[in-house]
Amino acid sequence: MTGEPDRAGAGTSADGLRVLAEARWPEPGDDAPPTLPGFVHSTFSPVVAAVAERCLTRRHGERPAPQPVGVRTAVVLVSAAGDRSGADHVHATVARGGRPGPLFFFQSVPNSVAGHVAARWGLGGPVVCVAPIGDPLAEGMAQAGLLRYDGDADETLLIMIEQVPEDAGAGVTAGTPGDAPGTRALAVLLGGGDTR
Amino acid sequence: MAERPGAQITGVHAISALGRGAEAQLAGVLAGTPAFRPVGRFDTAARRVAVAATLPETGALADELADAVDVACAAARLDPGDRAGAPLLLAAHGGAGVPALARELARRCGLAGAFRVYTSACVSASTAVADAAALIGRGDVDRIVVAAGYLVEPDQYALFDAGRALATDGAVRPFSAGRRGLLLGDGVAAVVLESAEAARRRDAPRLASVLGWGRAGDGHHPCQPDPQGRGLARAVGAALRRAGIAPEEIGYVNANATGTGFSDAAEAAALRLAWGEHAGRVPVSSTKALHGHALEASGLLELVVTVLAVRHGKLPVNAGWLGPDEACPLDVILDAPRRAATGYALSLNSAFGGANTALLVGAA
Repeated sequence: MTGEPDRAGAGTSADGLRVLAEARWPEPGDDAPPTLPGFVHSTFSPVVAAVAERCLTRRHGERPAPQPVGVRTAVVLVSAAGDRSGADHVHATVARGGRPGPLFFFQSVPNSVAGHVAARWGLGGPVVCVAPIGDPLAEGMAQAGLLRYDGDADETLLIMIEQVPEDAGAGVTAGTPGDAPGTRALAVLLGGGDTR
Repeated sequence: MAERPGAQITGVHAISALGRGAEAQLAGVLAGTPAFRPVGRFDTAARRVAVAATLPETGALADELADAVDVACAAARLDPGDRAGAPLLLAAHGGAGVPALARELARRCGLAGAFRVYTSACVSASTAVADAAALIGRGDVDRIVVAAGYLVEPDQYALFDAGRALATDGAVRPFSAGRRGLLLGDGVAAVVLESAEAARRRDAPRLASVLGWGRAGDGHHPCQPDPQGRGLARAVGAALRRAGIAPEEIGYVNANATGTGFSDAAEAAALRLAWGEHAGRVPVSSTKALHGHALEASGLLELVVTVLAVRHGKLPVNAGWLGPDEACPLDVILDAPRRAATGYALSLNSAFGGANTALLVGAA
């Protein structure tokens, strides 16, 4: 991805945000991401769900997030290309005059899996998906900072993901030296302090 | 929450199946005739539904976006130096080429560069406007150009058809009994937003102000709205609090209502949750019944329509109405445009993921 998703850094940002928890996909021992009911064909949404689950579990322990922090937590998903394999499959199906399966409709925008995470954890802040122009971490942090400044969220679950074009249902082989990276993601929970 | 004076809207442009230009949008929504027609742009033989609100002879999306930005900037009377200081926020359907589209659009239009690209489905453009107002209010920048575009194309059309989201009777009937779903529509729009001080300094045209905004999530389901409308109600509340405006001062709600059974009911529930019984006394319409659903661009097209209607003093009808639905107890504007009682209006948008936005505008 443009800008490595492996660094969140420590300390406090210019917007007063600090990293409350972080997680990566893959981490050592990961194979394919867990199947995500209702999402098919592509690893994009399963990886988003897996890295989000890992990050939020590290912060909150178990679902749902405690209130009132949960309802004040935004989900910001940063991806330059989005679900490449899902979009490619739909495009090829339509180009040959076929009908995409109905589940492709429901997963056709990154909001869907962001909403899945929000529903699973009881997050009621804004749901924002952006395609970065430059450094995805910097843009995601800036978006989280703006939402916090603006008062619509106290914390933000920031997820950055890029999917290699050919990584459809095959999943990710992690930690094998010499292997090309598959779908990779970083999730960072950002907040101003201990708001629990 | 920080205090802020809001952002001035100093130039707008939009195209849709209602026509080209801001005046065409106003005339079209006040005429109240839906713009749906058989899709001629691509083959719909394999689809259940074969109509959409398409504008004949559209150019490529990149060209239409560039034209929209140019015309909006000209309407705002921005000179090249003014443009060069204004970053671009773009709302468009996500994909591998979208960041490059934004960079090229900013370069081609002489803007200060592409600042952010929103791919948040049907709240993309409205989130961009909220962020633009927040960035201006925080003092990051004096002027921002927000652009958004969706032209009906075969892939999204096939997906909405496969998801049985399209109205099989060829009409969009927001909040109405017997509604069967949405229909897609072209929409490309651009809006120039400026700080009050920047607008005053150069004696800019002042069409309206974005006085309040709110963004909130349902936390309910990947692609269905919260039936109680809790996220949208919070977004509405945030918009009014920022603006310092009471519900009784809102003279019009341009609703998100897509003509879909459960989502229109959820929006009505949100307004009831936010405003109680008063929600039934505020004039409401969804202009998607006229220009269709422009997806990522819908929030900007509908903001332009809302601003123009409130400035003109006439509120557009909610076309396609068959009869009341007890799940939508709202004051829906029927039969003929209604006189605007106040200069304040809300434009609401909701999307997959439970994402919701509310934009509160005041006519200048």
